[in-house]
Amino acid sequence: MSNKIVPGIYRAVIDDVIANIKPEFDEYGVAEDVLAELQHKWENKVIASHVAEFETPAPAQVSQHPPQHHLAYPPHPMHMMQHPHYAANPYALPQPGMSAVKAEPIDNRYMLGMPYALPPLPGPNLNGARPVPPHPGGQTGVISFPRPLQPQPPGARTTYVPPPVSQAQSQPAQQSQPAQRIPQVDGPSESSGDEDDSPPPSQGQAFAPRTSHPSLPQPRASTSTSAPPPHDSEAINSDLDDSDTEGEEEAEEGVAGETDIVFCTYDKVKKLSRPSSPCSSDLQVARVKNKWKCILKDGMIHVNGKDYLFAKCTGEFEW
Amino acid sequence: MASAYYEFYRGSSIGMALTDSLDELITSGAITPQLAMKVLQQFDKSLADTMVKQVKTKTTLKGHLHTYRLCDDVWTFIVKNPSFKMESNEIVNAPRIKIIACKNGDAIEAGKK
Repeated sequence: MSNKIVPGIYRAVIDDVIANIKPEFDEYGVAEDVLAELQHKWENKVIASHVAEFETPAPAQVSQHPPQHHLAYPPHPMHMMQHPHYAANPYALPQPGMSAVKAEPIDNRYMLGMPYALPPLPGPNLNGARPVPPHPGGQTGVISFPRPLQPQPPGARTTYVPPPVSQAQSQPAQQSQPAQRIPQVDGPSESSGDEDDSPPPSQGQAFAPRTSHPSLPQPRASTSTSAPPPHDSEAINSDLDDSDTEGEEEAEEGVAGETDIVFCTYDKVKKLSRPSSPCSSDLQVARVKNKWKCILKDGMIHVNGKDYLFAKCTGEFEW
Repeated sequence: MASAYYEFYRGSSIGMALTDSLDELITSGAITPQLAMKVLQQFDKSLADTMVKQVKTKTTLKGHLHTYRLCDDVWTFIVKNPSFKMESNEIVNAPRIKIIACKNGDAIEAGKK
């Protein structure tokens, strides 16, 4: 089931992003703990979204490594030092390497680099850190994926929703705010510019006022939005004209956007010799009368509150 | 490696989680919007590459095609009563689903030739 692979893939993505963005943080002069905080927040939100079962893979990582050290070696200052190292740089080491690489020299080097955080940690180490969940700092993020689940029940997620809407998107009127998983349609297009705006424009007129609502200069919108007196906006007919189609689009897009969506790419398919197939010679989506067939790739499905991933999806529709 | 990186995956669950986190950090002044954009660009890459490398699942989808459109090389489908048949024969149904499909990177390159 492709839902099962979601935690592992998301884990890999998070680790990859954090590891690869570290130089940028250095370049911008941002402290490392901010990066750790980012990772922590990100993980918490992914877990809180409940798009997959995130508990299962993580406990293995959490419980295995610390005990191994303690079983193999008696408590010794040197081993206590390892944990600050792991905790402070969770993303610096690949997971499998953690158990294998326990060269003390490396830890010594890191020790010199980071003189902090030694005193508080020996306690949890000696006790075999597993039953002690509360690590307030964001640094334990990689290893403690499941932990934040308890302090962050699903309801807590609603608190996260407002910021992006108010910040990244300044079109509150058209955005269906209450939906927590809407962002698909408008989110990417907002941040990405023209290229990804492309799906809507095919209904250009219906969407034009929508995208240009807040800031973009548009003659019609300016009369209704920028002019404060309410009489104008009510009296103008152009708005009425738009509202009809716009309402339909809202209903159509809104429902779909709020609930279920697939992000994917489509692959090239050879030209079909059938006369009724659409025009171009590099067809990715084939049609015969009302039968459609398409090959989708690298998709992320969000349906019924769960995420699924696929490398390839064959779609067959009747229009 | 994927040869093209799209930003539209940012609208996915994991992408929105990242965007929200970045927004919070920007609000608190911990990072600049410029750095956040770098993170998102890295996310585009990491996600696409990870998907290509690690996801092997195949799925089929059937349903009633309510709306289709192709604009600027982006297909959008709205499918009513979609039925996903996952591997292991798990079937997932929903009232409707929207599919946003950007052109595959390989297809882009092939188109140039």
